[in-house]
Amino acid sequence: MSSGANTVESSPKSGSGVTAASASSQEAVNRLTAPAGLLVDHGKPVTFSFEGKQYRGLAGDTVASALAANDVWLLSRSFKYHRPRGVLTMAGQDANTLVQLPGEPNVLADRLPISEGLKVMGQNYSGSLKRDRDRHLDNLGRFMPVGFYYRSFNSPRFDRFWEPLIRKKAGLGKVDLEAEHDYFDKAYLFYDLVVVGGGPAGIKAAVQAANAGAEVLLVEEQPELGGALSYARFDADALTGLHRREELIAEAEATSGLDIMTDAVCNGWYADNYLPVIKGNRLYKVRAKQLILAQGSIEQPAQFRNNDLPGVMLGSAAQRLMRLYGVRPGRRAVVLAANDHAYGVALDLDDCGVEVAAIVELRDGPGDGPMAAWAQKLGFKVITGHCIQEAVARRDGLHLGSVRVSELTGQGSFNHGSEGIDCDLLVMSVGYTPTYQLALQAGGKLSYDDETAHFTIGNLPPIVSLAGSLNSTYDLAAVEAEGTLAGWQAAKDLGLKAGRQPKRPGDRGADGINHPWPIFKHRLGKDFVDFDEDLQVKDIQNAVAEGYNELELVKRFSTVGMGPSQGRHSALATARLVAKGTGRSVAETGVTTARPPFTAETLGVLGGRVFEPERFTPMHFAHKGLGAQMMTAGLWWRPAYYGEKSDRDRTILKEVRNVRTNVGLIDVSTLGGLEIRGPDAAEFVNRLYTFAYLKQPVGRSRYLLMTNEQGVVIDDGVACRFAEDHYYLTATTGGVDRVYRQMLWWNAQWRLDVDVANVTAGYAGVNIAGPKSRAVLERLESDVDFSAEAFPYMGLRAGTIAGIPARFLRVGFVGELGFEVHVPASYGQALWSILLEAGAREGILPFGVEAQRVLRLEKGHIIIGQDTDAMTTPDEVDMAWAVSKKKPFFVGQRSIQLRRRHPSKRRLVGFTMPKDQPVPLESNILLADDGEMVGFVTSAALSEACDSIIGLAYAPAETEVGGKLTIKRSNGALLEATAAKAHFYDPDNKRQEM
Amino acid sequence: MTSDIQLRHSFAEERVKEAHGRLEELGQSSVAVGFWTVADEVATAKSMGLVDLSPLPRFGFKGVGTAKWLKSRGVEIPEAPNQAAVQEAGGLGLRLAAEEMFLLGGLGTEAEDPADLEEAWQKSRAKQRGFPLPRQETHAWFLVTGEHADAMLAKLCGVDLRPAKFSNLSIAQTSLARMSAVVCRQDLAGHLAYHLLFDSASACYLWDCLIDAMAEFQGGPVGLNALRSLIST
Repeated sequence: MSSGANTVESSPKSGSGVTAASASSQEAVNRLTAPAGLLVDHGKPVTFSFEGKQYRGLAGDTVASALAANDVWLLSRSFKYHRPRGVLTMAGQDANTLVQLPGEPNVLADRLPISEGLKVMGQNYSGSLKRDRDRHLDNLGRFMPVGFYYRSFNSPRFDRFWEPLIRKKAGLGKVDLEAEHDYFDKAYLFYDLVVVGGGPAGIKAAVQAANAGAEVLLVEEQPELGGALSYARFDADALTGLHRREELIAEAEATSGLDIMTDAVCNGWYADNYLPVIKGNRLYKVRAKQLILAQGSIEQPAQFRNNDLPGVMLGSAAQRLMRLYGVRPGRRAVVLAANDHAYGVALDLDDCGVEVAAIVELRDGPGDGPMAAWAQKLGFKVITGHCIQEAVARRDGLHLGSVRVSELTGQGSFNHGSEGIDCDLLVMSVGYTPTYQLALQAGGKLSYDDETAHFTIGNLPPIVSLAGSLNSTYDLAAVEAEGTLAGWQAAKDLGLKAGRQPKRPGDRGADGINHPWPIFKHRLGKDFVDFDEDLQVKDIQNAVAEGYNELELVKRFSTVGMGPSQGRHSALATARLVAKGTGRSVAETGVTTARPPFTAETLGVLGGRVFEPERFTPMHFAHKGLGAQMMTAGLWWRPAYYGEKSDRDRTILKEVRNVRTNVGLIDVSTLGGLEIRGPDAAEFVNRLYTFAYLKQPVGRSRYLLMTNEQGVVIDDGVACRFAEDHYYLTATTGGVDRVYRQMLWWNAQWRLDVDVANVTAGYAGVNIAGPKSRAVLERLESDVDFSAEAFPYMGLRAGTIAGIPARFLRVGFVGELGFEVHVPASYGQALWSILLEAGAREGILPFGVEAQRVLRLEKGHIIIGQDTDAMTTPDEVDMAWAVSKKKPFFVGQRSIQLRRRHPSKRRLVGFTMPKDQPVPLESNILLADDGEMVGFVTSAALSEACDSIIGLAYAPAETEVGGKLTIKRSNGALLEATAAKAHFYDPDNKRQEM
Repeated sequence: MTSDIQLRHSFAEERVKEAHGRLEELGQSSVAVGFWTVADEVATAKSMGLVDLSPLPRFGFKGVGTAKWLKSRGVEIPEAPNQAAVQEAGGLGLRLAAEEMFLLGGLGTEAEDPADLEEAWQKSRAKQRGFPLPRQETHAWFLVTGEHADAMLAKLCGVDLRPAKFSNLSIAQTSLARMSAVVCRQDLAGHLAYHLLFDSASACYLWDCLIDAMAEFQGGPVGLNALRSLIST
């Protein structure tokens, strides 16, 4: 401990942001006085609770910083061994700070701002966080070696016994399934250049490019710009960082064309610089022509016994606590040093009134950095050539109490004799890894520089570049120069007048930053490589010893890097251990694939604001007014039936009966509508559909059946010929878009003189059906003669009704006298009202899709998609009559001909059952006598008109009328059905042709 | 028996009613003329407004001969696809493809109905004159107005519609809230505005999406009267 180090005056700096001497009696015990705490407002106290106890923090505090200010360091329990864990990075990079909110688990306490009344709990413990009943698992570590899960739990018994137990004991927070959905949304943004990282490199790059005329977005994860300038110490007097920060921020804010987004994270890189940027509850989908990554580097922990104890943290974490939040990180500190930054941390601690008990220097000497020189001048105790062999917990086991310092004897080895130093804070400054995730996602290749012990990144695409410590550049002047150069290059690549090339960066200051081997394996273990997964040095070594030579295999076997921090603090140590274990270089070993997302993202961010298009017919609200139960058909909403759900079956029967005996009205607006016009219209229709259309008379309609090139039935409808060169085709609700695409695709090859227009939404349609339908229409003013003689079955007319222009089709899908009336969509609502009003005397009732399904089933009419599947040929569904034998070509013809050489073993048959039997469900299977499946039901319903249950099923081709079919219900019960002709009702079609 | 029934309805009429819009007769249909006061709505329109223009006339043609025939009928044809041209009568002609035009009637009270061209088309003896399309029925027509319009649309659409990048009278045939739409910028009296032309069956759906997206800009529905007032200033 240096004499006078506790006094502000002992330091040559002033206004450094950590100048406050000691905790104020007015504040929480560890709170430093202003101006310490760049992000907090000392005048705005905020009360929140943690583990049920109230604490006072300041506006701008995170949960972790506010708790630290109150001397609360225990934040969570570790994943496997339930070890106490606390602040490690203060940067939202580690799993130690994961806490539970009432409606959200796994929230980073060092990222989450406190708010008044916020209730925070720890997670993954039994009993209380302090006295976790599962903490004894820490003593059972030797029974849970690496890979023990794979070896022990690979039997069915795992599912029944072990899995629930392990899920209870391990794992993270609890999902509140009752939590209310928050509002999330998405937005697109477009920029010439996106700069990720708002430190000195990022700011200089962004400003340089914006000044050249580029539209630039600068994305910063922290609440304010500045990066390391906001918390790190760059020189002995501690002035450079904060002054330079203020200057750069002012420069950025004064730059036009530069948008700054703080508290935002770019969470991945996708092709062509498609960048997901999350800010709050919004996901921005950003398109950037150029991308500069300046995300800095991630400080790395050293590996020694108990390196995970609360009170052991990175040097940068201590600096963040002091400078960003005005929190004293401890009272008596030991600094583990391997670079000059460590001495900056020691000076900062000293400035804040923390007693620096010793600087344990891994190197043989303290280096020649300016901060090391100043620390020595101040008289700090520096123990060179030594390491920390063990952190020792205080009596309660929840916090650091002392460290054991040993002399180094070689790479990673030390004398077991040790000196104990009492302390409640151990900070580690032994090196960094670049924040390489986005760069590698963009195609960058990672290398390792053995001289500097650094990962380096190369081979990036031309639209991505790097600047700053991400690029292994640490000297501040060089960082700024590199940022400026990157911004200039981006502007130049954007085709802007970028001006003269800026000066290239000088010495990048990468030497002496990373220690090549800050790993000190202890014979008793608990020297953690991966804090998330509780993996120790021996676990990685044992994985290699097991034969897992490749890093990706080591990862999968040991789970290293698979926790929430995704290897941020374990990748480098793992690479070094695997390299050593396999006799390769670290560069050859590499790191595991860094896939998006960069940070954890909630399902809310991914899912919200969901756009789920839905389509309403013009009569939609009229249906709802009539009490319709709506159902979906593709994107459309259609009335299923009109009445209470509790009265469903009776309502459907009533609607069916009314059509059979009276008159009903159904909305068929969702049917596809396609206009085919031009001299080749008939030829076009003739090629696309199976039936013959060249000689179809004008004013008549004809059934349409469409097959694909494999001869499979894919759609049906009606062809209405209004003129020699004009067809109006209907298609199924779900099939019309596909049919339309097919038409465009085919005619791109045929080049017929024809125009195809999809007018589905342009027409509303109704089917007025039943013996009294004609009477209803005739009551309305119309220029169309609806009599049987003038308007026969399958006829069609264009005219008006009640002042509405309309197309009339005499069709018989439901098997009764009926007319489809198609009108321009904006008239649909009026048409519906007019017809219901006109039919009141006849007792007209609307009917829904469910009644229509029964009605058409009684007629044996199939529904494409329900009664057909991906293999159905026209022959199988008794539609050979709709396949022309004389046409030279239609789509699917050749396949149908080929398949006819090998007749199908199945066909769609009708069946009947006594009405007191349960109605089979669609997809109930048909069984042969030997129990083999020989078919399945496609449709079934109770038919009042037939006084039985009727249905359609795929059955063996040889099935004959009157034959027995065995249907197996979902519950296993067997039903007996009788094969029948599918035309159950009015087989002579007299009713629909009347 | 049916003389008092309004024969035509806007595809978004139900949403207009829910927003307490005042409807006035327009031909066989009715249009939302106002929601609050004209002054308030003009202010909204300058900032972030949504107008349902679906009851107003529009029509279309496509197919070989369309451009030539329409030009012969005095329709101003933009030079290239995805551009629009203001028509002499005040309407807008959107060229969606070399041989495809979407014609919007003017927003004024005396606007012509481009559907009148259908009669001329029927009588024409030109061999190649395209084919008429019932755009009034297949497409709903919304107008979003105001300085925040591009930022609001960025929440629904992946095309860069910012004024600096998407010039006046430009067209994007794109996806809006996961459905196909034609977006055409036409500044009105110096105020940013975009015509949205899309599946008429999805009018209520898109209305909901737009109202939701406009909320952060304090946007809301605007009636035709306020729009006309805005244009005339």
